Amino acid sequence: MSHVRWTCAALAVGALVLACASCSRRGEERDQTTICFGFQDLETEFWVAAHKAITETLRSKGIRVIERNANQDANKQLEQIRAAVARGVDGIIIIPQDGESAVTIVAEANKAGVPIGVFNRPPANDSNPAIVIVADNEKISEDTVAYMAEAAKKLARKVTPLILVGDLGDSNAVARRKGFMNVLERNPDLFNPLIEVPTKWDAATAQANLEAALQRNPNVDFVFTSSDFMYPQVRAVLEPLGKWKKIGEPGHVILGGVDGDVRAAQWMKDGYVDATGVQDLFYEADALLTALLNAIEAGEKTPKKWMDDPGFALTQANMGERAMDMWGFKLLAEQGAAE
Amino acid sequence: MCSREASSRKRASGAPTSGIIESDILRVSLLKSSGEYENRLGKSAVAGRFAGIVRRVLLSENFVLYLSVLYFVVLYLFMPYIASPGNLTNISSDMWPLFALVLGQMFVLILGGIDLSQTSIMALTSVIGAMLMTTELNPALFEKSPLWGILLSSGGSPISGTALAVPLGIAAMLVVGMLVGLLNGLAVAKFRMPAFMVTLVSMMFFSGLAIYLTKSENIMYLPKSYTMIGSGQIGLIPYSFFVVLVLAVAAHVVLRHTVLGRWFFAIGKSLRTSMVSGVPTDRVIIIGYILSGFFAAVASVLYSARLAGGRPTLGRNLLLDVIGAAVIGGISLFGGKGKVLWALFGVLFFILLSNSLNMLDVPFYAEPVIKGAVILLAALLDVTRTRFLAREALA
Repeated sequence: MSHVRWTCAALAVGALVLACASCSRRGEERDQTTICFGFQDLETEFWVAAHKAITETLRSKGIRVIERNANQDANKQLEQIRAAVARGVDGIIIIPQDGESAVTIVAEANKAGVPIGVFNRPPANDSNPAIVIVADNEKISEDTVAYMAEAAKKLARKVTPLILVGDLGDSNAVARRKGFMNVLERNPDLFNPLIEVPTKWDAATAQANLEAALQRNPNVDFVFTSSDFMYPQVRAVLEPLGKWKKIGEPGHVILGGVDGDVRAAQWMKDGYVDATGVQDLFYEADALLTALLNAIEAGEKTPKKWMDDPGFALTQANMGERAMDMWGFKLLAEQGAAE
Repeated sequence: MCSREASSRKRASGAPTSGIIESDILRVSLLKSSGEYENRLGKSAVAGRFAGIVRRVLLSENFVLYLSVLYFVVLYLFMPYIASPGNLTNISSDMWPLFALVLGQMFVLILGGIDLSQTSIMALTSVIGAMLMTTELNPALFEKSPLWGILLSSGGSPISGTALAVPLGIAAMLVVGMLVGLLNGLAVAKFRMPAFMVTLVSMMFFSGLAIYLTKSENIMYLPKSYTMIGSGQIGLIPYSFFVVLVLAVAAHVVLRHTVLGRWFFAIGKSLRTSMVSGVPTDRVIIIGYILSGFFAAVASVLYSARLAGGRPTLGRNLLLDVIGAAVIGGISLFGGKGKVLWALFGVLFFILLSNSLNMLDVPFYAEPVIKGAVILLAALLDVTRTRFLAREALA
């Protein structure tokens, strides 16, 4: 019997602690602007940096932020946003699971008259008004792979391409793959048959599948990762095979990715990575927050605004001039300064 | 009563208890002389009555309902907006699709099995239904689908836009769900394969199939009459409630008032004994998995309607919620134990917990920890209650 009592007591105490913690904060929040920031997950350095940029900027402005992680579940994100609306937040920022669920979630916010901003993944259509900031993933990838193809042409032979494909349930992964494919289709004489390695946006899956792919196809010499967060897995597989070589060294694998994170910055600097597609994370975060806060201040309930982040491909050729336009290089410089 | 009689018989038999009785009499007379006897008697009676109430509540099969009510009341005291009409609507509309899934899982859990493929059945049926119902498909996204040019075109399917689209789409979803359940059931019953392995493989295969059929694209532009099933409501009551209510009543009747229901419990308690007793175990197991597939397809209708789209990744993270809600409700993972009402209570508590975590200022990284802890506590509680109930039954 004592076990049962203790268990129930623990449950009740847990509930009370949660409720009291909430209660003690409710007093503070009445006079504050409150924004719900719902994100689909924090699985890559890009999302982590975006999350940090958005939450820190909002808090520095004295705004209360309610953070909600949907763990890559569109339905859960919908429930979280509905709960935030019921709680009476002043505005919503979402990083949606995909463009289609963004349409439904934006509709919920519109119905409740709460202004909403969509970060980096646009709604699949513009049937419901929202503030949207988005990078052109297809073009950024295409520019990056085009530079890699130019590097391949200098070898004066065919190369064997491999792409680490993201989760194809994610529109960004689809667009990046499309950008990669555009370059391959334009250069049929340059490439041997393509090897596609599914990753599901999971590092362990990426490494296992890449390992298997390279065992079957040891001649791979052109690798594109759909996100920079998988570079460590690429290195972990290439290094034991003697393929982790700097640009210019014999056996160098032409290497590129998308995001522009700190590791990509470091390995571009060290000469292992040829090019990386950059989304201007800080610009995206700042532009979205400014537009949303202006809408809240103006009392707009369903603001509509579309903002583009053209992004760019940082290559070994333009690194001298444009490195500090990449958020990963900025963070790398900050880390260096801190050390 | 029996224990009292036994103790009085022991006392009557003399020697071993006489020393204890004398010391009790001495203690009572000392207390009487100090005036504390009545006081303590009163207190112990109150304590006894309170313990009795606590005991009844804890051992009641409605315990999870009481817990949910207590939890809601405590939360309401500190954040009244949890009872706002908007939030009550949220709780209500979040509950019913999950309840449909848990009902299906309940059938296989009672059999002593498990169905991990429910979420992939949801994904597969949602894209199949959406393909049949959608009125618009972007060729740039879908022309690489293996069904493009056969079943699919830019205008959707051959029945898109007709009055038959929604009923046939839903019927197709239910049939596909039951077919997957049939495959699972055959593998478990006929080939004696472990349910865990069979449904794990099904989960992988059918979620992969859903992605293959759509090339990982979500399907939008579903008819309003379909999306209303997930988003429409009468007052605070969503349409999904009425759908699930009918199914829940049917499930209750099957389990409690039919021979088939009794067979479910018999197999869950002991497969060998059921076989010896002449229960058609293979058939019942297959029916159990078909029902699980059917309910997963119903949940798919409700979830895809509320999200207004068919999704090859639908329900990917729901498995923990389904198993968690079932266990919280008291449906045993070891088979032979379960009720529709328990499933309902489990879902209610689970949704209440999720909703309150969304409403409270709980850090996002702490949410899964809290949910996991609650499921663990519920499982612990269930084990303890079962042990007490068994002990009471023996006494």
